[in-house]
Formats: sequence, structure tokens, C-alpha cells
Amino acid sequence: MISGGLDSTLALALVKRQGVEVKAINFYTGFCITETQRRKGGRPDGTIPQNEALRAAADLEVDIEYVDISGAEYLDMLVHPRYGYGQNANPCVDCRIFMMSRAREIMEREGADFVFTGEVLGQRPKSQRRDTLWVIEKRSGLEGRLLRPLSARLLAPTIPERDGLVDREQLLDISGRSRHRQMELARELGIAGWPQPAGGCCFLTDEAFGRKFFDLLDGREAMGQERRLVPEDVVLLSTGRHFRLSPRAKLVVGRTEVENRLLEHYAPGRARLEARDCPGPVALVEGEPTWEERVLAARIVARYGKGRERPEVAVEWREGDLVETYRVAPEPDEVRLEALRI
Amino acid sequence: MLAAPATLPAPDRTLDTSGTLCPWPIVETARAMKGLAEGAVLLVLATDPGIATDMPMWCKATRHEHLATFREGAGWKSYVRKRGRPAG
Repeated sequence: MISGGLDSTLALALVKRQGVEVKAINFYTGFCITETQRRKGGRPDGTIPQNEALRAAADLEVDIEYVDISGAEYLDMLVHPRYGYGQNANPCVDCRIFMMSRAREIMEREGADFVFTGEVLGQRPKSQRRDTLWVIEKRSGLEGRLLRPLSARLLAPTIPERDGLVDREQLLDISGRSRHRQMELARELGIAGWPQPAGGCCFLTDEAFGRKFFDLLDGREAMGQERRLVPEDVVLLSTGRHFRLSPRAKLVVGRTEVENRLLEHYAPGRARLEARDCPGPVALVEGEPTWEERVLAARIVARYGKGRERPEVAVEWREGDLVETYRVAPEPDEVRLEALRI
Repeated sequence: MLAAPATLPAPDRTLDTSGTLCPWPIVETARAMKGLAEGAVLLVLATDPGIATDMPMWCKATRHEHLATFREGAGWKSYVRKRGRPAG
């Protein structure tokens, strides 16, 4: 399993240099920050981040397969994790079990002998403790067949080590959060240009994203709906500024041209707001806003447009066949805006 | 290669991935290559500019031959020749 980060790239290099035939698997969850940046046209400086898993597979000349796990089953797991969340909306243990279970299926399909990852004992407080590494291995059905090459010598020997498919002596005994040994090994193996530290690429570990994630679920509950996620939530949660107008209404305001176009795509079923006579963001309102909340939403939309210094801005509200115009003063109170911000 | 070369082989199959974003152009390419004979040329049409870096890397990883990837109009074209896996 490869993310393209330093640890999984090193694990791949360590196993491959033993002459083992390897296939790299990269899971698509929909929550990768780099992928989302690419989907939105690249970084603010105009550059397009490369696909790190592809880069690592290319550098090491290893066949790679993408596996889409972003469907309903994965989303349900995110909402109801058996092993709970990390600091934010990251149910890392459940997510690893989900991925490893899929990896086991691929292992069986391909007639492979084992699965290996770049996990490091003690590197992450929840998902990479000795006890949770064992839980992940057992619950994914990979008992004895899940190798962690970077920490293997600190863990019980796996079947491929016992059977001589992999030489345990050539595996490592790295533990903890320091990455000095990995960087040293990367230099030794000629691996350069690795991306951000592990864990930095998943929206679910991001504090601001986590707030929006739980707010969405709480909002659904407040509306008497089921506490669950659908695929379009994944895109909307990573798009725009989010404001909680009330337990029953939420506003999302685009931050860039690309986000405005993206929000446009999700307008059906929601109210769409945009300033009428001056450039400004596209915004969507979800839920059942009161008249006061509609006016507040219009004031916020006016605040983020070119008319923010005007005394009054006309903001168009479109909702199905309904088209209304609200003439409002742009919301001037930054403290109030921050209080509404999710 | 980001400029169109003077001559390119006629493709045996054309795959249009327009409108899809990373990683789908590569996922669809991988799927399409499975149905081609060794030596066949696949032309991939894309709108995701990421294909300019992704396709050469994917070809290097999977040992297919990357012939060219270049911009044409609002989209991108990528030519790939299927290669068999080396023995052993």
C-alpha cells in the first residue's frame, strides 16, 4: 500500500531490493488534500502538485493500481467508527482496517503472499500503537500476512519472514515520531523529493475540516435527518467558507473562481446566492433558513464581493423557480462573521 | 513531451477521459490497456492538466512506452504504446 509519502516509499524500496515482486496499491478516499488541490486547478501559485503515489511507483519502477474506496460503505464507516476518532474527524484505525481488508482481497485475487505498508510503530498516537497495529491486522483478516518493513524487527515475525520470502535481517526497527532514520535511509537508497510528512495529506486530520464534518452531521440531525454522509458532501466540505446561520441553515461561500464554478454544480436542491450588480462569490444555502437568516446570508455574500464598501448591494436568491433580490448592507462586523464561521 | 511531435502512430484505440480528474484518467487508461495487444497504441484525451505529469510517471511505473503528451486546444492528448512485462 503506497501513499507516496516517505515511509511507504521506503517500505516499497526495502521490500523490492530483496527481489520480491511487488505491486503498489493506492486507495482513493476523496479526502486527499493534494488530490483536492489538483481538482481545484492547483496551488495558489499556479503550480499543479504531482501525484506522489505515481511518482514513487515510477521512481521505483513498480506497477501501481488505484482502488476507489470512496463509496457509501467508506462514508458510513467515517460516521460510525468502531474505534472512534483521533483528534479531529479521523477514524484512523477503522480507516486502516477498511483499507487493509480491501488490500487482502487484492492479495487473494492476485495470488500474492502478503501485504506491506509504511506504518511505523509509535509514529501516530492512535493508529500506530502496538495494540492497534495488531487490531488492524486481525480485523482486516491479514493475520500474519501484514508486514511493516520499517518496524518489522520490533514486531512478531510475519509468515513471509518465517517462510523466507523476506529476510527479516534486512528489515528495520524504527519506532516513534522522529523521522531522522527514514531521512538517512532515503539518502542511502537515493530517494529524493518526498512530499509532506505522513498524515498531512488527509482532510480528516485537519482541524477546520473536522469542525465542518461534525457540524454537517449535527445539522442533519437537527433537521430530523439521518446522521450520514453522501459523496457530494466530501466535495462541499472542502470547498468555500462555511457559516452556520442556525441549527437548520448553513451558508457556503466560494473563495475562488474555481470554487464558484464548483458550487454552481451543486446548486440544484439548494439556494444559490450571488451579488447582482457587482462581481462576487457564488454561495449556497442548505436547510430551512428563516427570513432573517436569508437576509444575513445575503449580507455575508455581499461582504465577500467587490461591493463590500458600498452602502447597499443587491443579492439575488435563486431556489428552484423562485428568484428574489435582497438589497442589503454588506455585513461589516468581523467578530460576528467569525462567530458564525464553522 | 509537451509539444506535439511531428509524427505519431495512428492509435489502435482512443479513450476519452475528458471531464474526469486525477486519478481517473490514469485509472481508465490502466483499464483500457488491459484490453489491448502488446505494441498497440492508445490515445488518451483528457482535460485534467495533471495528465502531463501523471502519464509519463505511470508509463515508467508500468513499463509501457510513453510516446507523447501535449496540449491541443482546450484539452490534452497522450499517446501510449502497450508493452509486455519483462520476463522474470
